[in-house]
Amino acid sequence: MEIQWSLVLFTCLSGAGAWLLACAGLDAFRGLTKKATVPAIVVAIVLIVVGGLASATHLTHVDRIMAVLAHPAPGIFLEALLLGIDVIVAVVLLALVKREGSEAARKALGVAAVVMAVVFSYSCGSSYMMASQLAWNTVTLPLGYLGTAAATGTALWYVLCAALKEEAPALAFAAQETIAGGAAALVLALAFGVASGAALGAEALTFWVGVVLCGGVVPAACGFAGMKKPESALQLAVVAAAGAFIGSVAFRVLMWLASVTLMSLFGVTI
Amino acid sequence: MNMAHNCIVVNLDRCTGCFGCEVACKMENDVALGQRWSKVFTVGPVGEYPDMTRYALPTMCQQCEDAPCVSVCPTGASYRDKDNVVLVNKEQCIGCKYCMMACPYGVRSWNEAEGCVEKCTLCGHLTSQGKQPACVKSCAAGARFYGDLDDPNSEVSKELAKYDEKDIHVLRDAGNKPATRYIMTEKIGTWYDRVEPRGGHQTAAYPVED
Repeated sequence: MEIQWSLVLFTCLSGAGAWLLACAGLDAFRGLTKKATVPAIVVAIVLIVVGGLASATHLTHVDRIMAVLAHPAPGIFLEALLLGIDVIVAVVLLALVKREGSEAARKALGVAAVVMAVVFSYSCGSSYMMASQLAWNTVTLPLGYLGTAAATGTALWYVLCAALKEEAPALAFAAQETIAGGAAALVLALAFGVASGAALGAEALTFWVGVVLCGGVVPAACGFAGMKKPESALQLAVVAAAGAFIGSVAFRVLMWLASVTLMSLFGVTI
Repeated sequence: MNMAHNCIVVNLDRCTGCFGCEVACKMENDVALGQRWSKVFTVGPVGEYPDMTRYALPTMCQQCEDAPCVSVCPTGASYRDKDNVVLVNKEQCIGCKYCMMACPYGVRSWNEAEGCVEKCTLCGHLTSQGKQPACVKSCAAGARFYGDLDDPNSEVSKELAKYDEKDIHVLRDAGNKPATRYIMTEKIGTWYDRVEPRGGHQTAAYPVED
């Protein structure tokens, strides 16, 4: 199948934004950062919205998009709904942080941000689970979407913390989150590679170099290195974010390239 | 709601693979150049001499009972009409092509000019007037039949009743329950329920090994 770049960018950007928001939300419990939370929430909102707009460029009749609201169904409706909810969570969390709202409220929104990151990034992948697509019809596909989005979002959080010169405990925790994100991408993408056959198929190079190495190993390794060398946190965080983003794009590109249809009788692919 | 199961039945013992149905469909429905709503494959030849199989396989929307194209459509553009026929309302299609991904058989077409998905309509504009779909009417071998599977007096039911259950086939069912039936007896060869074109738009198809 042809690579649908609009959809690739949608889930890469919006997924990263959702997980960046989750990291900012998690900080409501730890209270380690002084400066990174507000910029992180703003960047998260931008990523989520830009990702949503990217998905709209996939459509030939955007003018009819409101018809989606009249026909609630899994897939596009659910993604649009979750995207909207995540933006609302982000805006409310931003207002609470800016106005120094109650700790309990910020923690509640923090939990909502983490839950939304998991649900949204998983749902973006689960839309592609269909019996007609043999390589996609595995739960490891949405899990891979989740893992690669988590790696990108946590690495972006690490970048912001390092760029804004947060103190050592905040940087150390951001590095740990980056390790967790990278590990999630590594394990879940490997699971998809094995379950779908992409790990040993014609796109094996994209899988092992793009997804596994760049998307999983690099962010996790940079997180480890950052814990040992906090003075190099910014450089390591940038490398981690770049690797995670490449991995996230590669995972989604792989999905399109490694598709195996039950039958494609008319030879028409999208 | 009328729960009829209108569909096409093709008797492959009679089909000569003349492509007449394919041409008639394009003419009747003004299907764009390079697109098809109906396509005839030549399956095989496969097997070891003397047990060789080669047969014509006309394909089109299989009018699935549990149609994934309908359930994934975000706007309801893919829908069932009052006669239970799976159709596309092009006025509601946003061009997401989700239904094309979900169709187990890849028998939906993309209308580039209109930015919409299209497919076989079972010639509803003809059948609503008591006429036959263009592919059925034009079939020189009398191999195609149209009607309601649930009506024992329909043309499809009467044709199917002539054959044993083992000679009545459907394309690979991935849980979507295709309604279209293919009749093929052993005298033609071995039925393959999953085939793929050799190339993108070719009409030569071969069984897929699982």
